[in-house]
Amino acid sequence: MLKSILGGVTAALMLSSAASATDLIIYHNWSSGPEVAALNVLKDGLEAKGHTWTDIAIPHDTGSNVNLMNLVTGGTPPNVFLESSPGVYRDLAGLGLGRPLTEFFTEQGILEHYPTSVVSSITVDGEIMKIPTAIHIDGMAYYNMEVAKAAGVDPASWDSIDAMFADFQKIREAGYIPIAIGGQQWQVGYLTHALAAATGGPAFYNALYGAEPDPAVIDSAEMRTLLETLRRFQQEADEGSVNREWNVTTNMVITGKALMQIHGDWMKGEWTAAGKVAGTDFGCVQIPGAKAVPVTVDSWGILGGQPADVDAAELDFAAVVADPEIQAAFASAKGSTPTRLDAPAEVLDACSVEVLHILENADHQVPNPHSTVDADWQNSIWDVVFNFWSDPSMTVDDAIAQIQENYDIILG
Amino acid sequence: MSQFSVSERAAASGVMSQTRAPYFVRKKKGITPRTIAILVFLSICALFFCVPLYVVVVTSFKTMDQIREGAIFSLPTIWTLEAWDHAWNHACSGIKCDGLKVGFWNSIFILFPSLILSISLAMVTGFALALWNVRWAGAFLFLLFICAFVPFQIIMYPLIVMTTTTKIYGTLWAVAVIHAVLAMPVLTLIFRNYYKDIPTEIMSAAMMDSGSFWRIFFEIIVPMSGNILIVVLILQITSIWNDYLIGVTFGGLTGQPMTVNLANLITISTGTTNYAHNMAAALLTAIPPLVVYFLVGKLFVQGVTAGAIKG
Repeated sequence: MLKSILGGVTAALMLSSAASATDLIIYHNWSSGPEVAALNVLKDGLEAKGHTWTDIAIPHDTGSNVNLMNLVTGGTPPNVFLESSPGVYRDLAGLGLGRPLTEFFTEQGILEHYPTSVVSSITVDGEIMKIPTAIHIDGMAYYNMEVAKAAGVDPASWDSIDAMFADFQKIREAGYIPIAIGGQQWQVGYLTHALAAATGGPAFYNALYGAEPDPAVIDSAEMRTLLETLRRFQQEADEGSVNREWNVTTNMVITGKALMQIHGDWMKGEWTAAGKVAGTDFGCVQIPGAKAVPVTVDSWGILGGQPADVDAAELDFAAVVADPEIQAAFASAKGSTPTRLDAPAEVLDACSVEVLHILENADHQVPNPHSTVDADWQNSIWDVVFNFWSDPSMTVDDAIAQIQENYDIILG
Repeated sequence: MSQFSVSERAAASGVMSQTRAPYFVRKKKGITPRTIAILVFLSICALFFCVPLYVVVVTSFKTMDQIREGAIFSLPTIWTLEAWDHAWNHACSGIKCDGLKVGFWNSIFILFPSLILSISLAMVTGFALALWNVRWAGAFLFLLFICAFVPFQIIMYPLIVMTTTTKIYGTLWAVAVIHAVLAMPVLTLIFRNYYKDIPTEIMSAAMMDSGSFWRIFFEIIVPMSGNILIVVLILQITSIWNDYLIGVTFGGLTGQPMTVNLANLITISTGTTNYAHNMAAALLTAIPPLVVYFLVGKLFVQGVTAGAIKG
């Protein structure tokens, strides 16, 4: 504590004396090794501006952030909080504690450096409310290069999902599981929206997972393709896939039991923790032939209604997070991808470079449902597709009928 | 006691239907089918708890490389205390990586005020309700009884507002007060039922000698409460130590108990999982109540049965 205060004071003296030192309370749910390393990158940046960082970590899921609202109710709200769910920002705005950042980002000229999906993820009801800190792609295919070589296949050459499935027999004959899948509801839900983007493209995806879903897509050709593709993945799931954690599944690929896994690219952390190198030991490609990729954006929010000096310090924090150099350092520590397309590429690994390359195309990306869609609607889709997944006798028509019924109840 | 007799009956009915041997034959033999059945049943019960515990303990001594291989029942190839050291000294809870020991001391500081406050409050209330003529005592007891069934989550929000108004939100005292208030219904009922059976002669004599509420309480009632105090202590230590929600809600920025540290360590969103660290951390968190059980477990049974015989 003393050390950090001294560090902050020295840094403040070295910089101009105009910035006054303020203590910011930073609330988040990150405690694993790579996450803490990434937080320290931000902390150093904040201290270089003369402020101090008071940390509070409480585990929670996005979308049900009761603890944050409890702190607000108790009169001890944090200044900065890691939160993606738009509902929380609406609640805070209702309490007069929202802090729109549209003006800040426009003045700083940062917005044009963000991929389009990032900009839509950080916008709540027309105002920019969040500071994007990290990007993850929800459906990347990570494969074991040694296994690919042994089986004589090259996942990078697949140009469609059909081409991928066509090689599966060859992989099985070589003695490997072609694709490792964790059969939990949320994992199947993530696979579903990744496939919706990959097979249906942005228009279909946004009609299904956008802020205002369009009922016309529920019974459409794209929806049928999506569910049929999902069924093919289910047929390929290995025996142990039921209720298997994603990281246990990743370990099957790391240890060479399976060739590949399609999941969020936070998988990279498991690979790195096992001492593997992107581009040498494992490769990463988007879902073969994908029309678009879903982008998860982890974002910070800052507290409004504060005195001028605290508000200035909070904006300093926003500037630290948005800084391209810090973005690159943060991403390489966390195993994520920078939110800025102009982040210096030399410190990034092969997979992050690939992701930034994909994201340069504005039409090839869509935001993760959690940051845009009604939570009930999202849950109801998960529910139906997981039933569909678990019961091979359920037909595409059954699933569509259920989704339609849920739409009528929730949004109709 | 009751568990044993139930298992005995269950085992006996299973065997009897097959053999129908007369009773005196079995008396001669040392080991009867009945004993075997009981032993098998009890072993299965023990295995039910011991197998997961075995996995947790063994995993906490393994290296991550071995855990990745997936054989969860195998013994560690290299025994290492690294996970235990990491969990206690270096595990991160947010940006602070000082291990579970931070939360351990917080939990200790939460435990003692909470224990003293909750038990003393319930003891006095139970004493008053059982042995003094309190107006509306019946209605009050009934209310307490109803309160015992109100889930904490329902009244969490009003409690936050109340502790904020009294300026104790976010401190250790808020946690202790909430623990005391929430435990009060059940604890009061326990004390009240225990004191109810104190012979009226003792109370009459005490009334003649002094008649002071507090003197009778301290000089006669407290010395007689040994057994029941042990029972309540164990109940409360376990529930306060294992509590997560009250600590995380009312502990504020600095007063978070060990369970929150543990949850931070184990709940991962996009990070990596180190199972050895998790297992060691879970065991470290579970040890303190276990120690209490081992130290006073015998007294606990005495306390429960003492109440049972009297009642």
